[in-house]
Amino acid sequence: MFRLDAMRIVLLVLLLAGMQVFAMLGGFFGQEIVAEIAILAILAISLDLAAGFGGMVSLGHGAIMGVGAYAYALAGQHGLTPWPAALTAIAASGVTGGLIGAVSARMQGIFFIMATLAFGQMIWAFTFSARWLGGDNGMGGIARASLPFSDLSQPMAFANYALCLLLAVFLLAAATLSTPFGRSYQAVHDNAARAAAIGLAPRRIRITGFAISSAIAGVAGILAAQHMQFISPAMMFWTTSGEVLVVLILGGIGTLTGPIVGAAIFVTLKYWAAGWTDHWHLVIGALLIAVILAGGRGITGEAERRLRHAFR
Amino acid sequence: MTAFWTLQVLNALQHAALLFLIAAGLSVSFGLMGFVNLAHGALYMLGAFIGISVAAQTGFWVALIAAPLAVSAIGALLYLCLLGRVARLGPMPQVLVSFGLVFIATELVRIVWGDIPLVLDPSAALAGRVDLAGATYPVYRLFVICIGAAMAAALWLGVNRTNLGAALRASVENPGMARAIGIRTERMFLLVFTLGAGLAGLGGVVAAPITAANPGMAVSALIPALIVTVIGGMGNIAGAALGALIVAGIEVFGAVLFPAASAVLIYAALAVALIWRPEGLLVAKGAR
Repeated sequence: MFRLDAMRIVLLVLLLAGMQVFAMLGGFFGQEIVAEIAILAILAISLDLAAGFGGMVSLGHGAIMGVGAYAYALAGQHGLTPWPAALTAIAASGVTGGLIGAVSARMQGIFFIMATLAFGQMIWAFTFSARWLGGDNGMGGIARASLPFSDLSQPMAFANYALCLLLAVFLLAAATLSTPFGRSYQAVHDNAARAAAIGLAPRRIRITGFAISSAIAGVAGILAAQHMQFISPAMMFWTTSGEVLVVLILGGIGTLTGPIVGAAIFVTLKYWAAGWTDHWHLVIGALLIAVILAGGRGITGEAERRLRHAFR
Repeated sequence: MTAFWTLQVLNALQHAALLFLIAAGLSVSFGLMGFVNLAHGALYMLGAFIGISVAAQTGFWVALIAAPLAVSAIGALLYLCLLGRVARLGPMPQVLVSFGLVFIATELVRIVWGDIPLVLDPSAALAGRVDLAGATYPVYRLFVICIGAAMAAALWLGVNRTNLGAALRASVENPGMARAIGIRTERMFLLVFTLGAGLAGLGGVVAAPITAANPGMAVSALIPALIVTVIGGMGNIAGAALGALIVAGIEVFGAVLFPAASAVLIYAALAVALIWRPEGLLVAKGAR
């Protein structure tokens, strides 16, 4: 069961403060990296809600994020201003996830993974061949959100905005897990038969949980669309979802702080390694295997366990 | 017009033969160990690249034998050092460790063979085209169909008509009971894994003259093979063959009949199969 204990709050504050400092000192490049980390972290938190707390490992989250991004762009084209367009996009992602969940929720393990893969790839293939969505060229000219006190076309302002959204999503996810619904959701994951025996409806709870996770993936999609101001079907391909799963596992599944750690390491490693090698996936693959062989708790999970032992 | 459809049927059969070679090992290790080996596509890729390197030294026919053997050895080594240990940890660790292997294998291939797609020239005996029911068809592709059919027949006979096959089927159906009557399931796992790796390697070297070998193969071959496995049902050869025919048929005829929707069709088929019959079309009786 999830608890927002002191250790996690300290880690969250340190991470956000660290990224803030990095954005301030890192110049344009640093600010772009921080925005990218925040987007990936939001998507990984959304996957953590589904996979870590609900046991529903999804290879369709990239596609669901893409639905949010495309819905945001389309709403903008049809004259909606950024904030109402964002709400529309979140709803679109949530509904997509709800539908996928409704069909897939009774499946377990690898079958659930394959089902989300199937639906995600259907969304990708449809977008890829739909001319009114720009096909494989994607869509450009997407507006960033507007704020009364800050100009989001400035990279520093956008990095701050992305960090604020990340904080909001984290708190929302933590709050959701602490509500009665969140407790039942985790109970269904821990033992569906017992949860059903005490009167919970496992299928409905799993579907709702997957829809909430998908709505958060939509937030990541909107932020990605605003960041690049361009979207393409590439973000919907299943390898995006696979990459997020790797980020989540490296950082620590079922912790909510782990996804941020994983995203920060992943993006930093990508840009740091890009300077001297083309083969940084070699390191990611080896890290992934090492993390699983060490017990699968990820960096955050392992650190939390060690700290708990140290303070006992 | 008939010539056109003859061509499409042959294309579908040739595609199915390749799919079967990749999916057979995946399906049986899935059924036997519950092991979802995402690195199976990487073994297929290694088969293609090793085949190309061997063929450059010694010619096509040696490569056709040597590449599957080399990939079998790699598969056995992987199983003994890493995957056998992971197989006991449950589905998520298996998926993730084998996904990590995909990353590593793809990068190693890029380092050794580079990013440029490589083509393998088949033996001169298999060059040229033949006339078949009004259509001319490359001899090499007919050869691929024959290899696929021969392997399917050999596997089916091996699994259904030999003592070793009976032990294998018993281990799929009820591993605990199989162990109790003295079948060494651990050794069976290693055997199946090695054989499956060899088949994937054979698929790779056979595919290399048709689709140029490239480092993206590990990922692009994986998804169709997984779809074949899920549609056909896990752990049986006939199911893998049927699944390969269905997937190849949908891909080839879908592209001809509904070009606009062809990319969606295969995933729609997967979704339908999962909803309608999640245990697969043909499946060992005990598992249903």
